Amino acid sequence: MEEQVIYHPDFLVIPEGGEKPYLVAYRCEKCGKLYLPKVNICLNCFSEDLVKQPLSGKGKVYSYTIQYTPQPGLKAPLTVGYVDLPEDLRVLAQIMAEPEQMKIGMDVEVTVGEIRKDADGKSMISYKFKPVE
Amino acid sequence: MNLRDVYVIGVGMTKLYRKAPVSIDELGRQAARDALKDAGIEVKEIEEIVVGNMIGLSKTICLGQRIGITLGCQGIPIKNTEGACSSSAVAAHLAWERVASGLNDVTMAIGVECLSSYRSGGTAFSPDLNDPEALHGMTMPGLYAMRARRYMHDHGATKEDLATIAVKNRKHATVNPYSDFRTPLTVEEVLNARVIADPFTLLMCCPNSDGGAAVIFATKEKAEKIGKKLVRLAASTITTGIFNNSFRDMTYMDITYRCAKKAYDMAGLGPEDVDMVECHDAFVVGELLYYESLGFCKHGESVEFLRRGDSDYGGKVVFSPRGGLLSCGHPTGASGAAQIVEATWQVRGDAGERQVPDCKVALTHVTGGGVYGTENAICTIHILAS
Repeated sequence: MEEQVIYHPDFLVIPEGGEKPYLVAYRCEKCGKLYLPKVNICLNCFSEDLVKQPLSGKGKVYSYTIQYTPQPGLKAPLTVGYVDLPEDLRVLAQIMAEPEQMKIGMDVEVTVGEIRKDADGKSMISYKFKPVE
Repeated sequence: MNLRDVYVIGVGMTKLYRKAPVSIDELGRQAARDALKDAGIEVKEIEEIVVGNMIGLSKTICLGQRIGITLGCQGIPIKNTEGACSSSAVAAHLAWERVASGLNDVTMAIGVECLSSYRSGGTAFSPDLNDPEALHGMTMPGLYAMRARRYMHDHGATKEDLATIAVKNRKHATVNPYSDFRTPLTVEEVLNARVIADPFTLLMCCPNSDGGAAVIFATKEKAEKIGKKLVRLAASTITTGIFNNSFRDMTYMDITYRCAKKAYDMAGLGPEDVDMVECHDAFVVGELLYYESLGFCKHGESVEFLRRGDSDYGGKVVFSPRGGLLSCGHPTGASGAAQIVEATWQVRGDAGERQVPDCKVALTHVTGGGVYGTENAICTIHILAS
């Protein structure tokens, strides 16, 4: 089997029992601000007390584009979008949908898949979003 | 601290080539020699040089020193700086600081890039892979395409509006001998070009180009001694993005709003005084966003501003008289300095067929980079005034 790396185990959990994967944000204990990906200090109040908070994994597409000219080494077309999560976080991710399905405001949910190969040629697995069925 | 007034005493630029006939360091030297000739001074009068280049792309080491040593510089400080597309605007800011602060009387900034020698065709530019958004596959055309789609959704811009900007800037470039992209375009041609990142077609994105641009700054005393028409560098400002990974309006370019406010305050001028702008029109939507964030109209009013012709000759302010990045190409690290060269020519009244009538105040604006959580990593603005 092809070797895999997870981006990033700190904030993406893929349960071994086959349950749904989920995202984990980091919440500042002092001011409540959430971060994804992880930061080392709260950029709002500079507290170092950040604790894990699992997220619902649902979101709405704020904007998107279908990239026909990709980065070197990636396949086109590639749809990426900003997804706004109900926890007031915005995440850029690949979206697993046909171009004609894509709409601003559409409901999506988190899934996982390969986003690229890493520098060593390993399959890099990360969060993606797909339309809510 | 009291800052001294700083003047632009010499500017020089190579043609902005699809593919340069010389190496990156020679592009820098050619621009620098042209600027020295323009100022009518000897290289030994330059006290310090700052060079802007996208080092991460060019993979150069000591590029400024490579340019300067065989330019004839004799041991003066030469500094290299990077800020993505802002690189040489940052260089200009640092060269301005030296004179404004009183540390030097004459300094030079050079911007240089030779993308054809280190970027492969058929792929899109992206932030470096330390950025989580780039890691997930986002490109720079993709980022601006998302801005464009949201702007269309929120404020009623159409693909035809986006194409109109490309057509306008190309029309300006048809009379710019420094551009390598001078064939006029129609809205249909722009719309029918191949799609790069929906809704952008190829012709809604700036082409790559190669080139060098140099500017020489000096005190008023020195500028008066040279005796050319005085061009004052009335403002030179830099702002950095502020992190926000919550909901935000990605069509509201906060970093440019903040940088513009600083620049107008420094210059004691406002948008109503500005006759021309060279902005970061790397993608067509840029102009719509910057009509607003540079203060020419309110947020959401850019479509009307464009459709009325307010951003063209005969309107309120001419955007991209040289053709902008869209039609001069974008030699990334050189663009900030190249914009200042154009602004200087325009304020002097030396811009030939593309001269903006009675141009007294010119503004240049270039942002840089993608760092996740910000609209841009960096923003730089220069205001030049007669």
